[in-house]
Amino acid sequence: MATMANRLKLSGFSEMLTTSRQRRENFYGYLFLTPWLIGFFGLFLGPGLFSLYLSFTKYDVLSAPEWIGLKNYIKMFSDDPLFYTSLGRTFYYAGVGIPLGVFGSMFLAILLNAKLRGLAAYRTLFFMPSLVPIVASVVLWKWLLHADFGIINQWLVDIGWSDPPGWFGDRRWAIPSLIFMGLWQGLGGTRMIIFLAGLQGIPESLYEAASIDGATAFHKLRHVTIPLLTPTIFFNMVLGVIGGLQVFTAAFVATEGGPGFATTFYSLHLYRQAFDYWNMGYAATLAWFFALVIVSLTIWQLRLSRRWVFYYGS
Amino acid sequence: MAATIERLPSTELRADVYRRGRNRIQKAVTYVLLTAAALMFAFPLFWTVSSSLQTWKELRSFEPHLLPAVPQWGNYARVFVSVPFARWMGNSFLITAITIPGVIITGSLTAYSFARFNYIGKEIWFVLMLGTMMIPTQVTLIPQYVLFFNLKLINTYVPLTIGSWLGGGAFMIFLLRQFIMSIPRDLDEAALMDGASPIRILWGVLLPLMKPALTTVAILQFLGDWNEFFGPFIYLNRVDLFTAAVGLRFFQNIPLETSDPRDHLLMAAAAIMTVPVITLFAAAQRYFIQGVVLSGLKI
Repeated sequence: MATMANRLKLSGFSEMLTTSRQRRENFYGYLFLTPWLIGFFGLFLGPGLFSLYLSFTKYDVLSAPEWIGLKNYIKMFSDDPLFYTSLGRTFYYAGVGIPLGVFGSMFLAILLNAKLRGLAAYRTLFFMPSLVPIVASVVLWKWLLHADFGIINQWLVDIGWSDPPGWFGDRRWAIPSLIFMGLWQGLGGTRMIIFLAGLQGIPESLYEAASIDGATAFHKLRHVTIPLLTPTIFFNMVLGVIGGLQVFTAAFVATEGGPGFATTFYSLHLYRQAFDYWNMGYAATLAWFFALVIVSLTIWQLRLSRRWVFYYGS
Repeated sequence: MAATIERLPSTELRADVYRRGRNRIQKAVTYVLLTAAALMFAFPLFWTVSSSLQTWKELRSFEPHLLPAVPQWGNYARVFVSVPFARWMGNSFLITAITIPGVIITGSLTAYSFARFNYIGKEIWFVLMLGTMMIPTQVTLIPQYVLFFNLKLINTYVPLTIGSWLGGGAFMIFLLRQFIMSIPRDLDEAALMDGASPIRILWGVLLPLMKPALTTVAILQFLGDWNEFFGPFIYLNRVDLFTAAVGLRFFQNIPLETSDPRDHLLMAAAAIMTVPVITLFAAAQRYFIQGVVLSGLKI
């Protein structure tokens, strides 16, 4: 059969075109792929290329795009202070939040993986915050961290911190506030579940062997659990970077980028350029540069992974 | 067990006792850490509900009350009176009612194509599909907005739902494809021998077996739409069309008839908005876990 032949790499390209079985495969394969193909070209590739074109133009939606060559790119690097500061703040947010989030989730998963009673209830509880819609979570955290009446500051005053932070309203504390909120939402969510699944994939025999060698719990963690979890850590880091750099909703709903520009992350800067100032061409430039940053970081992580990710059994 | 221990030399016996003592300490430490974490996760949830049932004067006194003196259930009613929150929730449900069938139908078709057919260019399309996950949404945002703007589709749900009818996104397709790949091909081949058409095989053989994966996809789609802020925010600017997420932010910022603080009402609204999600989770917990196991680990 054709499928067997394909598996055995016996079918040549010409054969793929000629045999009737293959014609059938082509026909139905593309027939069922059609909805996705329409979406891919109409909502992804087409708009993506159009935005690349727009990045070389001045465009405000109402009048036709006007070609201005590299001016947007020059402006981005030489005449837009917010470009650098928003990029810096985005890296600050992601650089602190993602490692804390990934290792925090791993730590919780390791605790939950102990063979103890009642852990399912803990797991469910840890998962709950990730279910809270992000806008609802922002509303809640703005209240928890309210400068004067927030319960957290009232406690901080009680334990002797007479001048607690202003959190979302304080330039220095606005990003940490967003990180705290993100940790509350994210630590026990799907990332923790991915770690739990990863932990369950570690063969019991390795722990038994370590026990026979007299390994302590710390040794087992250091030499068995963590090395075998590196693929999961890597996976979560990659997803974390892609998602974390695009942070928008939390900052937009909590502070609209403020106070001052303290939480004007890259995506907020881009949003403002596009929808407040209608600099659609320039916003497209920002978007393409951003895509380049994310793709390069992902490829860099993939490269780097060869040095530290350990695949058991390979 | 006892017999084994008796046969151990005495030094090893001592080591074993020591180890078991250590285990007990480890257990205690684990429980203490877990309970501390549990309190940190749970308190904000508790505080939402408690704040939502207090008066604003209680909330804004400098003596925090952990519980309301008298639960103010009327706060919940006031949310629905102050803003069209019921309408907004209805709109959010309407959107999910459009997108869930979309992703189930077109997502399954795409996944079926990738999982079961061998056609020219398949590998390229598959890599391109996975690649779309890496590209930030901002790249396509502006042209998509311009497109929908020119098609006069601002203030409709088309921009928010069309994607779900065109495959539903790389993640969902990948998840469904993984699931189809785990179904033995013999079943397809047998149906093929009986003269079933490919669409008939998908409908009659595969889809019934895919129920767990389809449920997972439906749940993820629901969560995604319910949570989604940016799309509805830029495509909808009529208050009566808002979704719950956009409405909640609107409620946070608009002036009301009184200028009294509205923290208690905002907390009530946040709680109301969370109820459908928690209910879904309580009813279908295992499908939440399944999504992870199906997709995350096999990449």
